[in-house]
Amino acid sequence: MIRRLPSTDPLRPGRLLRLRGAVDRIFTGLASGSILLIALALVVVLAPMLWRGATAVLFRGTVEFRLMQMQKFGRGNRADLAVELVQVAEVRQPVYGMLDRFSRGIATDDMEEEARRLYREFGKQLDRRDTPAQERTELRSLAKHLRDDFTEAVESTDKAAAREALGRVLRHADDPRLTGTVAEGFFRMARDYGHIVDTVDLSRRAEYAKALGEVRDAIQALFGPRPGGPRPPLVMDQYGATRWDMAEKQLARLLTAEKWVEVQPGQPLQRVEVPREREFAGTDLAPLFPLMRERAADMLRPQMTLYWQYFLDDSLSGHYFGGVGPEILGTLLITILAILFALPLGVVSAAYLVECAGDGRAVRLIRTCINALAGVPSIVFGLFGLAFFVIFLLPKFGLPQGSSILAGGLTLGLLVLPIIIRASEEAIRSVPPTYKEAALALGASRLRCFVTVMLPAALPGILTGVILSVSRAAGETAPILFTAAVAIGSTAWPPWSAVTKPTCTLAYSSYHIAVGDRLAALVPHNQYGMVMTLILLVLILNVAAILVRSRVAMRLRGQ
Amino acid sequence: MVEPGDSPAQMPQTAEAPDKTVRARVPTLFAAAGPRPLNGEPLIRSRDFSLFYGQKVGVKQITMDIHPQSVTAIIGPSGCGKSTFLRSINRMNDLIPNVRVEGRLEVAGIDVNDRRVNLPNLRQQVGMVFQKPNPFPKSIYDNVAYGRRFQGFRHRGELDEAVERCLRAAALWDEVKDNLRKSALALSGGQQQRLCIARALATQPKVLLMDEPCSALDPIATGRIEELIADLKSAYTIVIVTHNMQQAARVSDRTAFFCLGELIEYDWTSVIFTKPSKKQTEDYVTGRFG
Repeated sequence: MIRRLPSTDPLRPGRLLRLRGAVDRIFTGLASGSILLIALALVVVLAPMLWRGATAVLFRGTVEFRLMQMQKFGRGNRADLAVELVQVAEVRQPVYGMLDRFSRGIATDDMEEEARRLYREFGKQLDRRDTPAQERTELRSLAKHLRDDFTEAVESTDKAAAREALGRVLRHADDPRLTGTVAEGFFRMARDYGHIVDTVDLSRRAEYAKALGEVRDAIQALFGPRPGGPRPPLVMDQYGATRWDMAEKQLARLLTAEKWVEVQPGQPLQRVEVPREREFAGTDLAPLFPLMRERAADMLRPQMTLYWQYFLDDSLSGHYFGGVGPEILGTLLITILAILFALPLGVVSAAYLVECAGDGRAVRLIRTCINALAGVPSIVFGLFGLAFFVIFLLPKFGLPQGSSILAGGLTLGLLVLPIIIRASEEAIRSVPPTYKEAALALGASRLRCFVTVMLPAALPGILTGVILSVSRAAGETAPILFTAAVAIGSTAWPPWSAVTKPTCTLAYSSYHIAVGDRLAALVPHNQYGMVMTLILLVLILNVAAILVRSRVAMRLRGQ
Repeated sequence: MVEPGDSPAQMPQTAEAPDKTVRARVPTLFAAAGPRPLNGEPLIRSRDFSLFYGQKVGVKQITMDIHPQSVTAIIGPSGCGKSTFLRSINRMNDLIPNVRVEGRLEVAGIDVNDRRVNLPNLRQQVGMVFQKPNPFPKSIYDNVAYGRRFQGFRHRGELDEAVERCLRAAALWDEVKDNLRKSALALSGGQQQRLCIARALATQPKVLLMDEPCSALDPIATGRIEELIADLKSAYTIVIVTHNMQQAARVSDRTAFFCLGELIEYDWTSVIFTKPSKKQTEDYVTGRFG
């Protein structure tokens, strides 16, 4: 019986071999493809993150930024800044002038209040001047008329009626008895208002008032509080737009109004952008907008700024200004503490599992528990940390019951413990058994053999676990939510003095900004900056650990 | 259990059935005598020593004396228990779970399987060199100083002196004296094995057990190790397990032949290789069996 061999030529691969080659190539292709995909995803995710995060450090800072830096951190050139502020104030002056003039005519309540005040003041003035009784009664009733006529003019939405009422007021302008008295205020107001009546559609006054409020807000957001006005209590209100990108947003808000109009009945409202210039067309405020459009840069003077102190500064007004110094320190402290706690415990546990424990039911249970521990949601660790460390354990040692870096570090340590145990177990297991044999044959005790031979040889693998743990611990939010985190903190010095106090961390603070009601929209750059800092921090820690590992590995290989 | 690959290549192998005339040419002088009385007081004394891996027999009722300042070779086919016996002397078999021993195995008059024996102490007295060179991933210096350090010698001068002495004793000093800080793993295989010998000497043992110390080395390195063994003989009691019968013939004073966990014959090396008393031994050393 002769069976035909698949291939007689030893150099020509048979069909089966060719198929295997094809399958091999497909596998290789799939594997490298998926690695490429992961790398690509990483780049796609990380690159914009880093790019946007970089704007927290490198951006076009306005004069407001320099003012804030000078006043809050004492940085910059005082003389230059003073000159700059004077120049800027000069350019900004007309803006305030226009606003004042226009708003006087729009705010009817203010004008009526002013008229009532004038009337009262005038009465007091009459009392003081010892006017004869009859004249006093006359003047008083005249003032009352002036007040009522003016109020009528202000309240009227009809141009003609308003003009007529104003005419009645101004008829008394030449009255010699009123010259030099408070009552002259009536005429000044009447003239101003007369100008408004000429230029403004009185029926749309309520609309104007609303739009004016928006314009005022935008101006305040751009330039900060008005010079000479009261200083707001919140730091975030004390300065205008410190960054040109934020200033541009405010400028857009100033220059175009957003309106929702009904295009067709029954259809959803549509958003329309109306230039404010058109909205205020014909009024005294109209020239403000071209002015702002053309001279905004002169009013804010943006300059490319490298704010490297971002990584050191405390944050101001809840991350509105300032940097992430306390966050970086807190993240580092809490991560280091977690590793300091988890590493010895993890290595000892791994040593027990490899060297001492057999394969009994109890050991299998322990292994299962470790694996299960790795899969527990991190918020569970957070609550456990709260219940065990914060409330139960640490107060036993005389520490105040409350969040602290210590409690957070211990909680995170528990979180990364399974990672370290598993990595160490693998590392210890993969040490060649000949090393152990050699050490024992030389008369080393098991402990000495482990410490002097096994552990150094397993170190690279253990460090891999540490690298994974550092990345995990530095980025966690949930476990420190109840155990260690506060939203705002200041840099503690020396760092270890802060161990019993709560801290802010990068991950937690960016989370906090994200869930804050309006902060995320106001300081997106800060949020991205924190994420970028976190990425960089983890990267640096990883690179350091990898360098140590490769040094150790090289020494072990004998180079 | 005897694989064809294990038969010594140097022995002319006869593929045909054993030729009875060949055996007849080798007279068996000590056939009935058993192990001949050997000179001096034995350092290692084995009396009906047996070792079991669970139910499996490792070695069975070994009775033999190993004498000081000499080289004793243990030969035999694979799986015959020669390594097991060697590792029983410093109790390295303890690493294997479910090991059980019977009988007596004494080193310098002390039963090594006694519960009271201080194991690290025993192993410092009975050094061991393994089949594959297994230096620690440390520097040459640290490798040699390893055992010395935990014997309590931490003083720099003492350690330096001990390292030099051991490296000289292992005939490695001249090759490595200029870079003692170099990693031991950077040495060649033969150098690594001599380093392992130096390392074993550092604890100042009385006995040196060698478990096929040359099987992973080339002939030149093997030659150097054999020279070394001849040098060390005057100071140490050496027990060497080997597959290479010429090696056993070259380096040892006495030879024990193990088969299937039993000691078949134990005698002067010259006797074992020229006029063995047992047919099994003769078959093995002439290459007809194994």
